[in-house]
Amino acid sequence: MTGRTAPPADRDQARLFPPAMLAALVFFASVPLWIRGVGLYEYIGVEIMIWATYALAYNLTLGQTGLPSFGHGAYFGVGAYAFGLAQHGIAENLWLCLLVAVAAAALAGAAVAAFISHRRGIYFAFMTIAFGQVFWFVAVKWHSVTGGEDGLLKIRRLPVDLGVAAFDVSGNEAFYWLVFAAFALVATGLWRLVNSPFGRVLRAIKQNEARASFVGYDVWLYKFTAFTLSAGLSGFAGALFAQAQQSAFPDVMSLHWSGIVVMMVLVGGGLVSFWGPVVGVAVYFVSRDVIGAATTTWMLWFGLMFMALVLFQPEGIAGAWRHWLARARARLAAAGR
Amino acid sequence: MDLLAALLPHLVNGVSLGLLFALIALGFMLIVGVMEQINLAHGSLFALGAYAAFVVMAGQLPLPADLLAQWKQVPAGWRYVAALVAAPIVAGGAGMLLELCLRRTYGKDVLYGLLFTFGAALVIEELIRILFGTRDYVLPLPRGIGGGFVFLDLIYSTYRVYAGLFALGAIALLWLFLERTPYGAIIKAGAHDSEMVRALGINLTRLRLWVFAFGTALAGIAGVILAPIWGIRPHMGVDAVVPAFLVIVLGGIGSFWGAVAAGLMVGMVVGLSGAYASEWSLLSMYLLLIAVVTFRARGLLGKRSVLEV
Repeated sequence: MTGRTAPPADRDQARLFPPAMLAALVFFASVPLWIRGVGLYEYIGVEIMIWATYALAYNLTLGQTGLPSFGHGAYFGVGAYAFGLAQHGIAENLWLCLLVAVAAAALAGAAVAAFISHRRGIYFAFMTIAFGQVFWFVAVKWHSVTGGEDGLLKIRRLPVDLGVAAFDVSGNEAFYWLVFAAFALVATGLWRLVNSPFGRVLRAIKQNEARASFVGYDVWLYKFTAFTLSAGLSGFAGALFAQAQQSAFPDVMSLHWSGIVVMMVLVGGGLVSFWGPVVGVAVYFVSRDVIGAATTTWMLWFGLMFMALVLFQPEGIAGAWRHWLARARARLAAAGR
Repeated sequence: MDLLAALLPHLVNGVSLGLLFALIALGFMLIVGVMEQINLAHGSLFALGAYAAFVVMAGQLPLPADLLAQWKQVPAGWRYVAALVAAPIVAGGAGMLLELCLRRTYGKDVLYGLLFTFGAALVIEELIRILFGTRDYVLPLPRGIGGGFVFLDLIYSTYRVYAGLFALGAIALLWLFLERTPYGAIIKAGAHDSEMVRALGINLTRLRLWVFAFGTALAGIAGVILAPIWGIRPHMGVDAVVPAFLVIVLGGIGSFWGAVAAGLMVGMVVGLSGAYASEWSLLSMYLLLIAVVTFRARGLLGKRSVLEV
């Protein structure tokens, strides 16, 4: 860069590939090499990649725009069902089915966003819960389409057809590479979006909605667009999840699971950091397996941990890391002088 | 006329259910109004009330065996009264504990309170699973309020009528408390402008503690009343909190009669659609919500709320 340089705090934000992203991508790319060595297995890597994609998509509303959506499971679930139904009803083509899933989830998100985009705060949260419940309820009861509580079964992991070559991803290790690629794609795209002029407006809305609208931005349209995009990408993650589980269930659409994704985002520090949700998802799944192996009541301990975190460290792991880094820097500067 | 008569029992059930929804929602709304917190653990405290009532009724108390045997000799009616007293105390006590922790989040984004109580809901549900297992329990009832009765050739469930009347009485008492006592005046003032209430020399911290206890105690009572209708199981809290949410959004946040009207509407819609398509009866309340908020963004009787800013 020549001429004007961005202020130091913003330099990372403007980079095409910031160090945090490269570190995350290299780390996750190396997972298949050592995951069995530390006593875990590939499927947990698949879960983490899918839920990290979902959490990043979700954080576009919560962390970036400040919209407390508490019913995001609906769009994840719609994506999962749409993928399965497209596969059974239209064609067994990965790209087509993914497209249908994203479109269906984005459509559902847009319908809800049209109702609630003029709201904020508690009222917004209320409405997202109510609408989330509608989708969950339909999924549970519409037995002929979704299979109800039994789930939509026999969803295949479709081969990745790149034109010149097609890859079979039915094994967990091969499938990991697919979800890793999906994660990398969504993470890079969202990073660009968040640091684009569009993303700046979203952050302005998060800080002060009234002021953003006084400056002249159509706040309703920005909130609508952010929510719809977030829903569509959540549906994308849902489609991957349907393939991972080879079935789709209404559970993920319930208030319980919608809350858990908020929990993961907050634990990681999604309110203060773009990468926080990824950390939160990894912590959730690894601690589920580690605490879950020791005790069957792991939800109790995770819940208590989470309550303590909200009270004492509400900025999550990323927030704690930043504080530590700032203090370490200050100490270094003091020592150097 | 025949059609109307055939629908009458469903209508009675619907009204009774609607009044109970309104009761749960009102407890929830007191908390939303005074401290601007969404208590996602409200349903879990409702479940806690139901379990407390079961423990008292069935005599599964941690007491010496001979005392317990004596307790089981007490007539079921009195044990039921004891359960009605114990449940709100347990739920309200748990609510107080929650509020003591929740204090730290006041003044921050409302999201933190929401998340804290979500964590609490997970923990309470898991605790219930650990203590009682996942099986369903049936709350034993005194003979007077069980069974059914015949009126104009149609059979009604006695308990449903009793539950509706109980909820009606509780709502009336709550209204009297809020409108006719100095405590009620303070609570309403607190919901309107808590800073001004503090400036007038009222201990806001204590007020919030008691309002939280009171709101959750109402959930506990509702838990006892709904337990025989729904059965006692760990998941019952979610079944209660979701209609309560809908009732509040439908009625308009902060409106007492809005919540009662919305509760009745939801109850009747669920009851009547239950007569035709029981599988889908719960969906009707969601459709009702969407229909109402499409035309009235703040619900039936909602005014511009402090929570919207």
